[in-house]
Amino acid sequence: MIDCREAVRRMWHYLEHELETRRAEEFEAHLETCQRCCGELEFSRHLRTMVAEKEIPPEVPTELRTRVEALLGASDRPTEGTE
Amino acid sequence: MIPIAVEPSASRSAVPVEAPEPDVERRPFADVAREHLDRLYGYCVRLTNDPSDAEDLVQDTLIRAMRAHDDLRDPARARSWLFAIATNAWRDRSRSRGREVRTVPFDALAADGQEFSLFQAIAIEDPFPYSDELHLDFLRLFRDDDVREVFGSITPAFRVPLILTVVHGFSCKEAAAIVGVPLGTLLSRLHRGRKQLERGLWDYACANGLITTTDEDDR
Repeated sequence: MIDCREAVRRMWHYLEHELETRRAEEFEAHLETCQRCCGELEFSRHLRTMVAEKEIPPEVPTELRTRVEALLGASDRPTEGTE
Repeated sequence: MIPIAVEPSASRSAVPVEAPEPDVERRPFADVAREHLDRLYGYCVRLTNDPSDAEDLVQDTLIRAMRAHDDLRDPARARSWLFAIATNAWRDRSRSRGREVRTVPFDALAADGQEFSLFQAIAIEDPFPYSDELHLDFLRLFRDDDVREVFGSITPAFRVPLILTVVHGFSCKEAAAIVGVPLGTLLSRLHRGRKQLERGLWDYACANGLITTTDEDDR
């Protein structure tokens, strides 16, 4: 049986579905007996959601879009003699 | 615009080359770049913590990617391919500026042998005595800018796995490939990033008066 310290270490890996089966089962067995870790698991879910929601990608600045289009325009143009 | 000198060999060598899949139809590079530009820029902003630097990093990334386009065999992996190139370009830029991206394990949190637990700190300090949702109320204190500021203070090597997995939704395996480290290393950095995030949120809340604690010296 793993302790709370080990359960907390595995918590985010569990949420990432990165725990191998045996380690996930040990983690889940711990949750069945530990209300505190159940609470922290739920909190971790909310924390991750908060970070993901608040890290909204900023809008691409117009100037950058123009630079990129100029760059891509050059890549779009067929090389002389290829067509 | 800052002129960017790019070594073609450097852009290719650091990014894993995919196994050839000759039956997959190749998309023009411009289409790939346009499709992923928004997310690529968002990633670069989080990497550099500076919108102006991010613009140059996007341009650097696209120049490198254009030259290495032959390496992209599977269109479905275009985003992770671009992110890997951006990560390498960011590392090179940090190095050239004398700002080496820290890769050696660093954990100021474990100075006393104990890892900080935000969950526990909130429970002990109980900043909202009448709340039925104590921990959620703590998270609700943070505005977008607050979270960005805390995020930006995380050690870059530990911040990147958080950005890739939590913000951009890559699996840890994909994130490990993008960063170019073994899965175990990625998981370890993710854990450290998480702990720095937890500590950062708590310290930020205390320092900015979002909460008042009974004895901050104990933290």
